[in-house]
Amino acid sequence: MGEHEARGWIRSDETAKQMLSRVLGDRAFLLLPPLHRVPLRAGNVVEITGSSPTAKTQILIQAAITCILPKTWNGVHYGGLEKLVLFLDLDCRFDVLRLSDMLKNRLLEAYRIGNGAWWQLEESNVKTQDKSKIVYDEELYVSCMKRFLYLRCYDSLELLSTLKVLFYTLHYRIRLQEACGSQVGVLMIDSIGAFHWTDRLSSSLALDKNNRKSLSLTNVVETIVQEMKKLMQVHSLVVIATKATIYEEKYPTNENNRNISSHSDLFGNPSSKAQQPPFREFMPSSWQAFVTHKIFIRKSDDHHKSLGQQNLSAYLLEWLQPQLSSIDRFIVDDVSKLSHLQVLL
Amino acid sequence: MAPLKHLEMENSIIDACFRDFCASHGILTVEDFLLHDLYELAAFAEREANADRLKEGITVMLSLIEVKCRPLLNGMELLEDLQRNKHTLSSGDNGADSLLQGGLREGQLTELVGPSSSGKTQRVLSRISCHTVYDIYTMFDTLQGLEVALRSQVQMNVNEYRLRLLVVDSISSLITPILGGSGSQGRALMVALGYLLKKLAHEHNIAVLVTNHTVGAGESGKTKPALGETWKSIPHVRLMLSRDHRNSNCTISILKHTSMVRTLS
Repeated sequence: MGEHEARGWIRSDETAKQMLSRVLGDRAFLLLPPLHRVPLRAGNVVEITGSSPTAKTQILIQAAITCILPKTWNGVHYGGLEKLVLFLDLDCRFDVLRLSDMLKNRLLEAYRIGNGAWWQLEESNVKTQDKSKIVYDEELYVSCMKRFLYLRCYDSLELLSTLKVLFYTLHYRIRLQEACGSQVGVLMIDSIGAFHWTDRLSSSLALDKNNRKSLSLTNVVETIVQEMKKLMQVHSLVVIATKATIYEEKYPTNENNRNISSHSDLFGNPSSKAQQPPFREFMPSSWQAFVTHKIFIRKSDDHHKSLGQQNLSAYLLEWLQPQLSSIDRFIVDDVSKLSHLQVLL
Repeated sequence: MAPLKHLEMENSIIDACFRDFCASHGILTVEDFLLHDLYELAAFAEREANADRLKEGITVMLSLIEVKCRPLLNGMELLEDLQRNKHTLSSGDNGADSLLQGGLREGQLTELVGPSSSGKTQRVLSRISCHTVYDIYTMFDTLQGLEVALRSQVQMNVNEYRLRLLVVDSISSLITPILGGSGSQGRALMVALGYLLKKLAHEHNIAVLVTNHTVGAGESGKTKPALGETWKSIPHVRLMLSRDHRNSNCTISILKHTSMVRTLS
């Protein structure tokens, strides 16, 4: 290798500043409430675990709405990301009415705030019948709903074939969509553990032939993870998956217990603070290695009384990975909105 | 498990040569094909003599799989399907209807939980045809027979007596005998049954109603629905029925609903 080539090899391609601005532009941070404690980047995989019912799908829908709303429209600020959301429904329980209602509420709220009529917001919280007077922007509503893409799978073979084919259909679909920069932002999976038992059954029945991959639980999950990695390479995606616990919770849910034990741990060895997850993990290791962020939700013991309505259940959201010391408490009120209440430490 | 050679009749590209190539990588059926990395397979195909033909075979396989997949729907299309096909059926009881905002929804699996003699069976509607089923395997047979009948009905566009409601009285008595210990077989069958019911409900626009009984909850003393933690994620709507023996009042409350908040009424 001559001296000229050696010099060329050592010369840099770009400075660190140029690299950072390029990477941050391509794969920017996303802040999706109510998961806004940790900024998410493309390539992150978030897993939300909780028993049933703990408002996991509600969180997904709220994050989806933030994604499909535009940043501004007709002078009103909505604060959305204007990206496509791909919702893989493995639980097959998705109710589009809930998405539609929440979207309409968001549009109305943003419209009122934008037009300086914030005082009407307070009124509407008390008198829910008068909401229909103010009309939301129909065209915006339709364009937002069109950015929400939905697929359902009834078993893992369907899921595998869908993932394989999704690669190509997504390209085609994005080209069909209006060319105002709608890229895929988030891939949401409702209940990744949905086919766990049926797959376990087929793995116990699998024939053991050499050189042949049997349709066992580990193989299926491995292939799913592989296909998702391929999708993530081409489209800059954040993956958010919910997981329902399938074993009874033996962990004490008493909040007081937790506070006392966490205080004593502070003076003791901080690294030994309950590294064990508070639920029994059942997903295979290939999925566990794929996940970069973990959240755990459980029901809170005390109920919330608001404005003389019935008792509503409160839920506690805790980030397990990265481990944050604060716990968010929220309720779901009757406008199907997640109201963030307080932060417990 | 569909072996690849069955595809040869309609797609001549899946010939013996292609099948031998696949067999050398351990692919004998369509399911095996799904478990493999297609890029890797195409890269292996490059090395063979008839690379182009093999790669064309892989593409044909992918397109066959695509035909079987469900289409990608967007939010507006979902709403249209809901408004056009999925109507609400009255449950015959005004109280329950007002709680459920109309009644039982087609396309959803509703579960009615209550201790024995709380009036679950009386809430079944009239004009029903009955099938007695004593174990879960007969249940699968019956449901799959129903699915085939409904699909052929749709194809022939026969619209006279469309099935609107499917009731399974005491799904717990079918499933509890096989749910034993920590083995996966019982739970897998339960999950498979749940999914079959949901599929029937969604694809053929039927409302499905199942009843379940309660069990004592040990330490906390309250009763909870039977069938355990896994079953909790399967129905769309779960209603709890309780009867007060003193004044024979029946209260019904929502345990879980897809678009309403859980209430403790």
